[in-house]
Amino acid sequence: MANLSLSHVNKVYDNGFEAVKDFNLEIEDKEFIIFVGPSGCGKSTTLRMIAGLEDISSGELKIDGKVMNDVEPKDRDIAMVFQNYALYPHMTVFDNMAFGLKLRKLPKEEIKEKVVHAAKILDLEHLLDRKPSALSGGQRQRVAMGRAIVRNPKVFLMDEPLSNLDAKLRVQMRQEISKLHRQLGTTIIYVTHDQTEAMTLGTRIVVMKDGVVQQIDTPYNLYNKPKNMFVAGFIGSPQMNLLDATCKVKDDEAYLEVGNNKINLPKEKSEKLIKENYADKKIVMGIRPEDIYDRESLESDVDKVMLHAKVSDMEMLGAETFLYFDINGNSITARVDPKTTIKTGDTAEIALDIHKIHLFDKETSKTIIN
Amino acid sequence: MKKVKLGKTYKLFVLPILICFFAFNTFPLINAVVYSLTDSRGFGDFNWVGFQNYFDMFKDSRILNSYLFTFKFAITATIIVNVISICLAVLLNSKIKGKSFFRGLYFLPNILGGLVVGYVFNFFFTFILPSFGKLIGNEFLSTSLLSNESTAWFAIIICTAWQAIAFNTIIYISGLQTIPGDVYEAAAIDGAGPWQKFWHISFPLIAPFFTINMVLCMKNFLMAFDQIVAMTGGGPNSSTESISYLIYKTGLSGSQFGYQCANSVIYFIVIVLISVFQMKFLNKREVQL
Repeated sequence: MANLSLSHVNKVYDNGFEAVKDFNLEIEDKEFIIFVGPSGCGKSTTLRMIAGLEDISSGELKIDGKVMNDVEPKDRDIAMVFQNYALYPHMTVFDNMAFGLKLRKLPKEEIKEKVVHAAKILDLEHLLDRKPSALSGGQRQRVAMGRAIVRNPKVFLMDEPLSNLDAKLRVQMRQEISKLHRQLGTTIIYVTHDQTEAMTLGTRIVVMKDGVVQQIDTPYNLYNKPKNMFVAGFIGSPQMNLLDATCKVKDDEAYLEVGNNKINLPKEKSEKLIKENYADKKIVMGIRPEDIYDRESLESDVDKVMLHAKVSDMEMLGAETFLYFDINGNSITARVDPKTTIKTGDTAEIALDIHKIHLFDKETSKTIIN
Repeated sequence: MKKVKLGKTYKLFVLPILICFFAFNTFPLINAVVYSLTDSRGFGDFNWVGFQNYFDMFKDSRILNSYLFTFKFAITATIIVNVISICLAVLLNSKIKGKSFFRGLYFLPNILGGLVVGYVFNFFFTFILPSFGKLIGNEFLSTSLLSNESTAWFAIIICTAWQAIAFNTIIYISGLQTIPGDVYEAAAIDGAGPWQKFWHISFPLIAPFFTINMVLCMKNFLMAFDQIVAMTGGGPNSSTESISYLIYKTGLSGSQFGYQCANSVIYFIVIVLISVFQMKFLNKREVQL
């Protein structure tokens, strides 16, 4: 159980590559923090700096108020679950889990008690005598978790622990990790590039790109109030539709021109654009696929803008259908009811919920208004 | 392109090796077994003596001494070479500057011939080291180690180890490279220091490589020949007479061809038994990754 603080943390490699730039984060006790971002964004490097497996080039890492920059990994009271599990192949499941405790010279009885307890939590009791090579991917993953649990550390670090599992097992293990967090009540820092894992597990999510933190927020806020175009596009699947638009003002009301289409805006968005002098400027309009409706699923009380567009492709996923439209060279996706009668090649009438439109500055990529 | 039948290709590749192996290995072995039952001097007529050569061998103190020397030499050299090789491999596998250069440097002795290395060390022990000993006033080093019955065998070990360490180190490095880096990181977080990482992680995981090196070292050192020819010629006072050297010396130029053939046959069986025993014993502690 611990608070963790990273202030102005940087990582610069010997070749001059800056992997992490000015990382700042305060983590409260029992939080489940997710680092998410595309490959090479610095999320694993940050985790490894917290673990002590990478040196911190500058900045400060504190665990429970103590500066940990130069403290050995073993003395940080952390446990880590690796992407490839990193189990000791020559040791049994029991020995894998007991190794850290043996090195800390705990009495044999206590070690046995702790390992058996962890094995019970993770349903590994019947596998304690097996070697890792005789285990399935999911079981190995649980042993790696067990190795972390027995230590009862202040902080759990997990580096893409589910990425080597198949889709079905991943969902199962995701739930188990979530349950484990509730059960153990420990601070967890979890690295993933899978946004579903990020959204479902995290109490707060840190979105990173090119070593820079883009936004730190709750899953709800990241989805509904992204701070910039990258976060808007990265969180959500299918991703948010981002369309080039021009802001026009007529009779003290701002509206958007997207190709030949005119899109009226609600009052607060319009006022914001006028106030910040976006008249006649290029901006980016964002709208989530679920905020675009076909005629069948359109509810009457939605403030909408109607557009005509040709369906270039469609994907039926069972519970939902994705329609891909082409509007003046911009490809946009709509998430509609699978009962839709629209087919590929049709020119359909679609409605955009104007309250759900996000507006971004084209130059800075920052959000103007959500 | 003309398609070649697998059978034909298979025979083309396998037959030459098979013929050579039979001609230069199996045939001489059978020949040795046959001659071991004779009193052949290596030339001229010979008589069949049955197993008499084998009975005589066990009463021959020269053969007994050569066995004692060879085993003392082989066991000591195997231990020294493997201990130093593992240490070097761990060092050369760590994050050090000029790693490739050092790996190349340490491999250099392996490409030199055994006789060449033997003569170089002979020169070193006969001239350079005694001169140095005199310079610093050390009585022990002032005389050649090779001229002293109690030190000559160790001088040969130094020379043999210097050459053998190169190949063994490379094998251990390749073994260490099969261990994933994150296993060490997990151990570091678990609380393992450098020694514990080596003892609990590296060493058990390079067990298959340890087996290979132990078996090859033991086999090679039991057949020590080149260094002995170049450094001592079996002396002083036959104290460094290895079995191979004894077989060569008295078998080919000492008119004991039939007798030493019997010695060769027994020695062949001894080496096979030792190698099989080593493999079985060491395989037990190997880990399949």
